Amino acid sequence: MSSKNLSEELLTAMIHADRAGAADIIERALATPIDPLRIIAEILDPAIVRLGQLWEEECMSLAQNFVASKIAEDTLLRCIPGDGTKQPSKGAVVIGNIEDDFHSLGRRTVGLFLRAAGWDVYDLGNDVPAEQFLEKALEVDACVIGASAMMQTTALNIRKLRELIDARGFSDRIMLAVGGAVFNGRPELVTEVGGNGTARNAVEADGLFMRLQAKVQKRVTL
Amino acid sequence: MNSYQRVMNTLAGQPVDRLPVFAVLGAYGGKLTGVDLRTLFSDASAYVEGQKAVQAEFGFDLVLTAFDYSVIAEAFGGEVVWSANQVPNMKRPAVKTAAEALELPLPDPMRTGRLPMILEATRQLAARYKEKVPIISALPGPCILPSLLMGIDQWMEAVLFDPELARKLLDYTASFHVAWANALLANGADCLVLTEGMASAEIVPRKIFAEQGLPNLRKICARIKGPKVISSTGGRMNHVLDLLPGLDGMVGVIAGSRDDLVEARRLLGPDLTLIGNLDNLALPAASASEMYAMSLERLRSAAPAGRYILANAGADIPQATPTENLRAMRKAGATVSAELGFGP
Repeated sequence: MSSKNLSEELLTAMIHADRAGAADIIERALATPIDPLRIIAEILDPAIVRLGQLWEEECMSLAQNFVASKIAEDTLLRCIPGDGTKQPSKGAVVIGNIEDDFHSLGRRTVGLFLRAAGWDVYDLGNDVPAEQFLEKALEVDACVIGASAMMQTTALNIRKLRELIDARGFSDRIMLAVGGAVFNGRPELVTEVGGNGTARNAVEADGLFMRLQAKVQKRVTL
Repeated sequence: MNSYQRVMNTLAGQPVDRLPVFAVLGAYGGKLTGVDLRTLFSDASAYVEGQKAVQAEFGFDLVLTAFDYSVIAEAFGGEVVWSANQVPNMKRPAVKTAAEALELPLPDPMRTGRLPMILEATRQLAARYKEKVPIISALPGPCILPSLLMGIDQWMEAVLFDPELARKLLDYTASFHVAWANALLANGADCLVLTEGMASAEIVPRKIFAEQGLPNLRKICARIKGPKVISSTGGRMNHVLDLLPGLDGMVGVIAGSRDDLVEARRLLGPDLTLIGNLDNLALPAASASEMYAMSLERLRSAAPAGRYILANAGADIPQATPTENLRAMRKAGATVSAELGFGP
């Protein structure tokens, strides 16, 4: 069976929130002569891209997205070599729910997709104060902080993080990605809280973080 | 015809003098009476004064008990975050895992936390409005209730990857859910709105709702002794609407703001009332004329088939919503009532 067909099968498993079925597909792929890393590139990645399109078309639920992120994680764990060989990292990023926000499902899903895409993700969890975000970002040399909030009241707490990054003079070195349900409903809030960008869903997070990383690299070079 | 008669006749498919109009205005009462939201959602009399002010200002066809689910999260041991302009919310759930939730003591509606305050407010509303204005109480649907104990992510994890644990939790929380629902009815609520997040297309697909949610919803509905409306708090519901008719005591559905009302009526059949479906986010942002146009559009598409109530689709309407926007909903209701020849 071709990689394209397997990718379509994997997408179907994601749509049906069928984690066991997805594992079976990956096992069948691994039983062929295909390189495990090509399974990620040719089977997993296209399924994730198509999943993102379905999300945009509002055909996917939170549950399907959550299971898809688990499937992506399972696939990575199964396909990345266990002999110490590691794919090159895209870099370090720090994510967390902003102070007073405890709605972690979206953030966790974003973390899984970012890891699947090759980022070193430092997930600080829920209710993270601005100071802790920045401290961790400096410690691990992260170029992007991803702050999540579900409600408008908690989203406004992201302003503190923006102000702290600016006040400490890191606005060229650290980009602020913001996300969560409230930003999808009120896109103008991204600017209001001082975000450098947002993604409508976990699948798009990799693209956003790549763009923000490129901005940092450009500014640092200048 | 008063609001109570108008709504009851609508639910029964009987003639009315005009189309009823609902708006979920809990925190808005505090805006009208000048009471901070911590007081409004902690003090029964302050809350009831807010409802009186809302009723006097707009004359919508309902009064509401507090649409505040932090009360339940808190009663199970969670922490509440208070806000100056929004309904309080759960800050920290009582436990971190689904397995731990099975060890939590079940709250007593008559004694635990702010639950008795909600019941006291219901009694006060009943004393003033019984059989004049319908008294509506919202409570979480039984299939989403466990998320208030452990957070939505842990609950989804159980539903998706450990259905046996999820079933145990649904069984465990069922007795509280039923006790709370029946306590609201016993203290004066005329109708309950079960906001069942698991019925929302944005949360889980139809298959999961049909296999894991619906059987539980069916069991719980049979144990709640009063009329019920099912809502998904604004999320799309048309994907499961055909599964809902026949639930014990169910009298209506609040459609999601992006559900097509004509399709919703087709899926629901003629015997249940369709309510909705103005977008909560649009209410503070739109102009009064836009709100009037949106209301007219809903009314003209859904009212001719009968058993329809114009309302917002989601939870509490933001305090920032201009009063003119709320009046525009009432005005649109009057316009379409006249167009359709309603009258005494």
